[in-house]
Amino acid sequence: MIPLLMGITFITFSLTKALPGDPVFSIVGERSNPEIIEKIRKEIGADKGSLRQYAGYVTLLLQGELGRSYYTNRKVVEDIGQKFPNTFLLACAAMTIATPIGVLLGFIAALNKGRAADKIITTLSVSGISMPVFWSGLLLMLFFSLRLKILPPSGTGGLQYLVMPAITLSLPALATLIRITRITVLDTMDMQYVRTARAKGMTETAINSIHIMKNALIPIITVIGLEFGSYLNGAVLTETIFGWDGIGRYAMEGIVKRDYPVIMGSLLIGTIAFVLMNLIVDIIYHYADPRVRVHGTDR
Amino acid sequence: MGLIGKISAAILVLIFFLSIFSFLLVPYDPNAIDLDSLKEPPSPRHILGTDNKGRDILARILYGGKISVGVSVLAALMSMTIGMAIGLISGYAGGKTDTTLMAVVDLILSFPAFLLAIGISLVLGEGIYTVMIALSAVGWASFARLIRGHVLSLKESAFIEAARALGCSHARVVLVHLLPQCIPLALVMAGLKAGGYILTEAGLSFLGLGAQPPTATWGSMISTSRVFINSAPWMVFFPGIMIALTTISFNLLGDSLKDMYDIRSEKEVG
Repeated sequence: MIPLLMGITFITFSLTKALPGDPVFSIVGERSNPEIIEKIRKEIGADKGSLRQYAGYVTLLLQGELGRSYYTNRKVVEDIGQKFPNTFLLACAAMTIATPIGVLLGFIAALNKGRAADKIITTLSVSGISMPVFWSGLLLMLFFSLRLKILPPSGTGGLQYLVMPAITLSLPALATLIRITRITVLDTMDMQYVRTARAKGMTETAINSIHIMKNALIPIITVIGLEFGSYLNGAVLTETIFGWDGIGRYAMEGIVKRDYPVIMGSLLIGTIAFVLMNLIVDIIYHYADPRVRVHGTDR
Repeated sequence: MGLIGKISAAILVLIFFLSIFSFLLVPYDPNAIDLDSLKEPPSPRHILGTDNKGRDILARILYGGKISVGVSVLAALMSMTIGMAIGLISGYAGGKTDTTLMAVVDLILSFPAFLLAIGISLVLGEGIYTVMIALSAVGWASFARLIRGHVLSLKESAFIEAARALGCSHARVVLVHLLPQCIPLALVMAGLKAGGYILTEAGLSFLGLGAQPPTATWGSMISTSRVFINSAPWMVFFPGIMIALTTISFNLLGDSLKDMYDIRSEKEVG
């Protein structure tokens, strides 16, 4: 975990260092007074050597400091802290939509393998993975906000603002969940113990709910965790389209203005959230699947 | 290959040819501004309508396809080549080399891919080559992981031992005996990756990090037409259809190749 975090900070720092253009010019303009340029250069530490800058970077990170925005001079860490709850809310809402529908459809597809229902659901799933989120988001906006006028097109706030970005964001996860649920359920159905259960005379409903569902749960949890982790790093495209005031839109604004501390701060926080979520999934996996645990202690 | 795989392959070939021979098919220059026909809805004259500068959308979609599909396919091939090289070395050499290379792979895979691609694009400056490099710099890692696993399982097989016993050099074992065994697997993954790259390229273009105006790509076409979604929805609609169609085809083709490959390897084993 620690080497991984060091690797990550090393990459974000290298990216920061390698960024083109002089950030000083972007604050004051290229024709500014040389004295002012020099003063700002000192203030943001651009005059020191690379190694000292990296040391400074890591020290600052350990103190929870991500620098200040070139434009607003506000602390990046405070901005992110302010926007994170919005991103978290959106991620939760998207998963709340995706999980039950995705699992249910995946299950239905598996139980009807090869029949029309399976084919329709599988096609929907592939389409869900293949649509760019910014496009499906814009189409939703066109339909619900501009034509039907029942939802506000963009902004941050209550449920009416949350619905469309949450649906948009849920589509790829929904599609992935359908796929994974279908595959695991199909695999589990061939297992000996399912055949045994059937031979014992258990009803199909009981087999489905007790034996198949319980075993299919682990890969499903993994997918939910991984997708959730990727949402936490700010759904840049979805948040931008719907003007949802989260980390993704914050990063996008940084990209447009080439506000590097903002971009790199969002990148770093997003990556750490992603890595932590993967770790949590590993831990859940460990406790949810006795087989993993047995193998672990055997060794 | 199943019917779905064949249809997907046919759609992709069609998109390739339409993009390449676009200049024969549409009488309009994709970048020609025509102030007399701004935001015209689809009509016989402009089959998919025109955009806010009066440019023919069909022409822009076909020219843009050349870039969007070209960039994605080339990036998939680049990722494949780098990933295969690293995977072969890592799996065959084992030991410290393997540990080090796989640590780098894990590091790259622990980044959210889209964010890392954004970071790299920012460093290199906007443009289509940048997008290609950013996609490959992020994408090679999963190829390396896959190929390494495959090499590890092949390394112990009899034909490799036999080759070594006959006095083949390590280089010959890797290039002549292992590499061909890895290519089908890598190609399947490249197909699936290319689909994902179409989406990522579109996303980067949408953020203004891809090809620069007036050059058309599918992502940038959607990006610039965002503000006209109410007055000219066709400007948003058609490029998105193309992205979705191409990505679906790549994904379905990859899936059916994967099935085909699995069946074949099962037959070989049995």
